[in-house]
Amino acid sequence: MTRRLLIVGVALALSIGVIACGSSSSDSGSGSSNSPLVGAGSTLVAPLMSKWQSDYASRSEETVTYGAIGSGGGIDQIISRSVDFGASDAPLTPEQLEEANGVEQIPWALSGTVPAYNVSGAPSNLKLDGEILSRIYLGTITQWDDPVIAQLNPGVSLPSTKITPVYRSDGSGDTYAFTNYLSTVSPEFKAQVGTSTTVKFPTGVGAEKNDGVAAAISQTDGAIGYVGLAYALSNELSMPLVENLAAKFPKPGVKSVEAAAKAVTKIGPNNEISLADLPASAKNAYPISTYTYVIVPLESEKAEALKKFITYAIGPGQEYGPDLDFAPLPKQVVAADKKAIAKIGG
Amino acid sequence: MNGAESHALLLDRGNLKRRNRVSKLVSLSSTIAALLAVAVLLIVVGSVLSKGIGALSIHFLTTPMGLFGDTTGGISNAIVGTGIIVGIAALMAIPVGMLVAIYTTEFAPDRIGHAIRFVLDLLNGVPTIITGIFVYGLMVAGNRQSGFAGSVALAIIMLPIVARTAQEVLALVPGALKEAAYALGIARWRTLLRVTLPTAAGGLLTGSLLAVARVAGETAPLILTCSIFGQGLLTEPGEALASIPIFIFQSSESPSPEAHTQAWAAALILIVFVLVLNIIARAFYARSRKRMGA
Amino acid sequence: MEAGALSDPVLRVRRNLTDRIGDPLLRGLSGLAAALAVAVIAGIAYEVVHLAWPAITKFGVGFVTTNDWNPVTERYGAAPFIYGTAVTSAIALLFAAPLSIAISIYLTELAPSRVRRPVATLVDMLAAIPSVILGLWGILVLGPFMHDTIEPALNSVLGFLPIFSGDPSAFGYLTAALILTIMTTPIITSVTREVFETVPGDLKEGSYALGATRWEMIRQVVLPYSRAGIVGATILGLGRAIGEAIAVAQVIGGATGINVSLFHTGSTMAAQIAAQFQGAPGALQKPSLAYLGLILLVFAVIVNVVARLIVQRGTLKDTDMTVTEAGAL
Repeated sequence: MTRRLLIVGVALALSIGVIACGSSSSDSGSGSSNSPLVGAGSTLVAPLMSKWQSDYASRSEETVTYGAIGSGGGIDQIISRSVDFGASDAPLTPEQLEEANGVEQIPWALSGTVPAYNVSGAPSNLKLDGEILSRIYLGTITQWDDPVIAQLNPGVSLPSTKITPVYRSDGSGDTYAFTNYLSTVSPEFKAQVGTSTTVKFPTGVGAEKNDGVAAAISQTDGAIGYVGLAYALSNELSMPLVENLAAKFPKPGVKSVEAAAKAVTKIGPNNEISLADLPASAKNAYPISTYTYVIVPLESEKAEALKKFITYAIGPGQEYGPDLDFAPLPKQVVAADKKAIAKIGG
Repeated sequence: MNGAESHALLLDRGNLKRRNRVSKLVSLSSTIAALLAVAVLLIVVGSVLSKGIGALSIHFLTTPMGLFGDTTGGISNAIVGTGIIVGIAALMAIPVGMLVAIYTTEFAPDRIGHAIRFVLDLLNGVPTIITGIFVYGLMVAGNRQSGFAGSVALAIIMLPIVARTAQEVLALVPGALKEAAYALGIARWRTLLRVTLPTAAGGLLTGSLLAVARVAGETAPLILTCSIFGQGLLTEPGEALASIPIFIFQSSESPSPEAHTQAWAAALILIVFVLVLNIIARAFYARSRKRMGA
Repeated sequence: MEAGALSDPVLRVRRNLTDRIGDPLLRGLSGLAAALAVAVIAGIAYEVVHLAWPAITKFGVGFVTTNDWNPVTERYGAAPFIYGTAVTSAIALLFAAPLSIAISIYLTELAPSRVRRPVATLVDMLAAIPSVILGLWGILVLGPFMHDTIEPALNSVLGFLPIFSGDPSAFGYLTAALILTIMTTPIITSVTREVFETVPGDLKEGSYALGATRWEMIRQVVLPYSRAGIVGATILGLGRAIGEAIAVAQVIGGATGINVSLFHTGSTMAAQIAAQFQGAPGALQKPSLAYLGLILLVFAVIVNVVARLIVQRGTLKDTDMTVTEAGAL
């Protein structure tokens, strides 16, 4: 008797399960307003996204789901339409744009990538420049007391600790921003490594996501790694002063990122804006600043919801930026964004 | 005979002391090896216990995960998510696995039975990340991640475990029982339902429990099918759900010590669940073995 | 005998409608289930090949020997990962196999009967620990220990050997290999133990009667008798080691090159897929990762089949997966 009950019970549970799944998938398929907006991508924008998610939910009753899987992941997922929007610090390449088959790319936040370091015995505001950083990541500068570093930091005693460069092993917009900068300042780096969301670094330790790199840096004496500004600050990692093209060493932060954004007014055909090649007149500009983009399909079921969310993000959402070290979007970028948003949904 | 000669030499050699010493050394090494294995187990479980118990609290178990960087939340959504994903996987894999076992023990001709056993072995040897790729290509690409996709991946991993243990247990059911039933004219399916399955119930339960314990901790298949999930306590299998292994994986790569503590605590819950299931499963197995040993 | 079932008044001799459709229905349903199992394995093979196809047509078989993984130049090769998989698995087995044999000897020959069951259960429990937890432990406990203690020691004593040269690092081939050792030892142990238990008692007693010490008996009777089983068990462990993605990804550091030093970071096929698959936007990157998956799948299948064949031939019984194996695997 009990055995029969068991068998019947299992069959019942199975059918309930099937029914539940069937009804739930048809539910979300009918585009009910309660199904969340799903996005994935950049870990750089993740801290700001978090604030947007909770604030937006209270303003509009809409839930936004976000998976911080790295810019590469964001691009990949939006191309395969596995998510409603993708977030990436790296703009789409022409090939990716073609593969994506009808998307709009909109810069919606502005921050920077910082080569944070952890070296006991070294000062907290070490001066570095693009050439040194290139050589560190190419493996030709291997110790912290290298004469080239010493030359830039006169009077500072540097330990002889070995340098461990840390990089992102996953597809990363920070890698893009960092390698974009290094390729701009060092032809050797450009030739040997190049610019992309995933590159082949000749030396160093790989870690996943901004979190992983921050962890690797804090756990290894002598480590240096590039992370989003917000991560360096929240994990209290030492940040170097990077020399910009005006031969100045601005402190990484909202102000210097804002200065970089002001100096570049050129907006590309797909709204991509590169902040790597700054003019010498930008005195206080932080040289490794980067925009981060949202990538949305021009046509989709969620077009209206997406338009609302992105409008929020570049508008009221921006006020959460400065606390997390995101600089406000310049006016001309907001204007270009609004034009781009209008194209969605059609 | 060659063997006898070489063995006879054992008596002749006058180095009994040395041989005994060597033997004792080997015994000592073997004992140390066993102790080492137990020690590693205790160290790992001990680490989880000591580092995780601090974060374990009612709040931790009943609050969903905090947003980015916020480690004041808990893992309620991960616990519920794992429960749903594994539950649906079990509902799919256990009946199908049993049916496969029934087919090979009751109906299939020998050669086909062997072929299916081979296929199940192959399935069992597929690395779980590859299973993840399969379900990704099948259900997620062009669509989206969901708890259901995760369940399908886990069910595929469970299937060979359930089927093979069920096969073994069903084969152990004394033929005399079944033959007596057939002799009374009872139909095959009735015999199966009323005689064979009840007799094998303990072992079948064992296989199912072990399969569940195995997949509850699987991370690789979930990474590709169910890792981008929203905030709060979600229960819709059609959407991506949080899960304990993914939570542990993501927290393990975080730089913040609070996140690490949370990872240990989640690991503690998972380990306790898995080990308890394992112990129960083995207890059932021992009992069912005894019942059918006669 | 189950008197209860047979005396149930429901079991009548008459073959009514339900009986007549019950049997074919059951046969059909269960046959369908079996077909489903076959369909799944075929589906897995197909899907992996399908996803990898662009990389297969672009790189061909040369992919296997190319030592490069460069998303910028879109040049990919499997060599660094095959190397990483080989090195970490080989070291893991190097430690795990003798360890497992020793543990099995203890459990079958030395342990007092009251200690036997608990210790065996404890060793099996090691296999039940989810890999992500071992990875967590690896990142936070073993890694730092390797970096602070073990690797410097190896470097100072054996640093002249290329495999122990270089700087100590928490993450790398060696740490990953040790984690794999912990994972594979219980698997090899459980199969080896079973094989040891099938050694006929009279053979063992005969050896003792001729004056052999315990070790000599083991060396002359148990080990030769179990040779096939031990080899099969080790190969089974190999299968587990090469397929492990998560724990290895957590502790191996993710570098994409071939490095002789065991302290150095690297990657394996499974770990590389786990790390990069979700975020691989290059037109060829995802197919190349799928291609890695294909190579991994082929290796895993071959290893598994070979292991089963050897154990089967050696022990002359059909390899029904035992409960212990199910728990271990």
